[in-house]
Amino acid sequence: MKRYLLFLGILVLALVIGREALRHRAPKVYTTTSGRIEMCLACHEEKPEKAHAREVVGCSPCHLGDPLRIDRQLAHRGIIKNPADLRVVEKTCGQPACHPGYPERVKKSLMATNRGIIDTLRRYWGEVPAHAPAKRPGETVRELMLSGETSLALDYFRKLCGTCHLWLEKGKYPGFLGEKGGGCVACHLVPGEKAKKHPVLTRRIPVENCTRCHNRSGRIGLTYQGLYEDEGYGAPLVEGEFGAETLEDGRFVDLIPPDLHYKAGLTCADCHLPEETMGDGKEYVHFEESVEVTCETCHGGQGLTRKGRRHPKVVEKEGRLVLKDNAGKEHPLKAPDPVKCRHEVHRRLSCQACHAPRVPQCFGCHVRRDPRETQLDKLAGRETAGAWEEFRSYMRYETPTLGVKGDEVLIIVPG
Amino acid sequence: MSYRLRPWVSWGLAASFLLAVVSGLLASYPFHEAFPLISTVGIETVLPFGSFLRAFHFYTGQLTFLLLVWHLVEALLNHAERRRPLWRWSLLVSTFPLVTLALFTGYIVRGDQTGLAAGQIAEHLALRLPLIGLVLNRLLFAVAEEGVHRAFMAHIYLSVGVLVISGLWHFRLRAVRLEDLAVWATLAAAVSLVLPVSLEAPSFETLIKGPWFFLGIQELLRHLPPWLAGLVFPSIPVLSLVFFRLAPRGLALVLVLWTGTYVILTALGALR
Repeated sequence: MKRYLLFLGILVLALVIGREALRHRAPKVYTTTSGRIEMCLACHEEKPEKAHAREVVGCSPCHLGDPLRIDRQLAHRGIIKNPADLRVVEKTCGQPACHPGYPERVKKSLMATNRGIIDTLRRYWGEVPAHAPAKRPGETVRELMLSGETSLALDYFRKLCGTCHLWLEKGKYPGFLGEKGGGCVACHLVPGEKAKKHPVLTRRIPVENCTRCHNRSGRIGLTYQGLYEDEGYGAPLVEGEFGAETLEDGRFVDLIPPDLHYKAGLTCADCHLPEETMGDGKEYVHFEESVEVTCETCHGGQGLTRKGRRHPKVVEKEGRLVLKDNAGKEHPLKAPDPVKCRHEVHRRLSCQACHAPRVPQCFGCHVRRDPRETQLDKLAGRETAGAWEEFRSYMRYETPTLGVKGDEVLIIVPG
Repeated sequence: MSYRLRPWVSWGLAASFLLAVVSGLLASYPFHEAFPLISTVGIETVLPFGSFLRAFHFYTGQLTFLLLVWHLVEALLNHAERRRPLWRWSLLVSTFPLVTLALFTGYIVRGDQTGLAAGQIAEHLALRLPLIGLVLNRLLFAVAEEGVHRAFMAHIYLSVGVLVISGLWHFRLRAVRLEDLAVWATLAAAVSLVLPVSLEAPSFETLIKGPWFFLGIQELLRHLPPWLAGLVFPSIPVLSLVFFRLAPRGLALVLVLWTGTYVILTALGALR
């Protein structure tokens, strides 16, 4: 017995010594500027941008894990690659010391719920009666992800629309789809320098980030930049090559005159308020309920939005109002033409009725579902029966039709 | 019914306690109580063999506590209280709350999330004690104003105090056998190799779980006023042990019921 015990003791001792010999030890206890321990810094060399500097923030407040350990397995327990994912965001970006309140707002925003898309689809496809309330329980992206509920319209949504929302896990799907979603970083992330090994988080949201999703239906993101999704084929050919540019998803685009604001250097987020994009805490169903900024906010409206909120970027400079964009450039606000815009006969005209002389339009949109095939359900992350295919008759870049909504004359664009 | 104490439990208790005190003294050398968490992380990640030393100290301490409970139950079954005058028996019984307190202050001194919370709860409970609460808090805790200095000193003094009571007097300075030391050291070392000791970074989590043996009281604090949950309830087993001789059957029932309740409360607390 004694001999066995001796053998066991020596074995355990050898294991203790052996493990210590193989162990990677840190040269010191790493702390952030506030004195918080961050042993992650002993191994990780990533350098995020200044606002999230490694010396100040460290790694664990965002990526969780265990900052008190250096053993890979222990230190990485509970770690998350994308802290901005809406499933964990209350513990990371939205924690009390950083950006409190945002997760709750963002989760109610249209970019997270897609309520408008779902309601419109189901209503137009006759799945809900005309008098049904627009806000119905169970009809948000997250709820559909959890419930698995489906119908013809919901199946279409799941398969063709299911990657344009904030609940999508970043990198879940291959190719350009992998760039979409990811919660906060769907908008706030731009590639960083390779040497810094960490992407950059920014408040200056580039147009490209918005266009990752806002490029279909109204195609606002494309048109704003001066891109027109043409009929395809890259025709006419130029010097034997396709004459048009292609988007990441392979669609052909032609160059058209970009929006004046784009030419002036303004991005989407220069005009659109955080309350519109990240939500104001209310759960809207449709875009027109959520959007605040109008042309008049800057042009004749003294910087006030439709909901009476002062545009945060409109400031007074030397006695006149200017819009200070994200890059710091100042744009003096131009008042509407007192004759053309304020004339009594133009009273009912929306700004777009005159200032959007040509817009891209997609005619003859129809879809086909083949029940024999399968297609990826982007909300469930698996192939299910029924494959959708979209068709259109033709694209046109021409004068839009005018229509009346309420008392206002608007442009009507098939998309 | 006669019952004999198992020698291996008694020797195991003595060996584990000695190992816990010696490893604790070794671990205290690189520990600076002014920077408790930084020190603990330093021992864990920078000091060669540090994580092993810390785990070894932790598990020998846990073994001491568990074997002491076992030893106490055996002593009651053996009617040990009848063979000693009340003051001697009371002194022996006092080793149980003292070891628990030494174990508890050990959690406080590491300065992590659990330790900080445990210290603050203990401080608030101590202050609820009439008359001696303030003095007791100044002696053992005072973590809110002074950090873990007092808890660290209490951890060492309590351990040494119990070593004196049990080793010099109760154990009559008998030498702990080398093979006992080796067996229990091997057991603690083997566990230390497999199970790392917890260390939690301060966070914004609102649910913080205290040391495992404190979970029952923590759970009871949710339902009862602090003086009842934190003072009266834990005093029941100590007083029952001290006055066991007065009504052995009745107090044995009290102890069994108390233990059953505490196990349920601990399970409820752990499942939160």
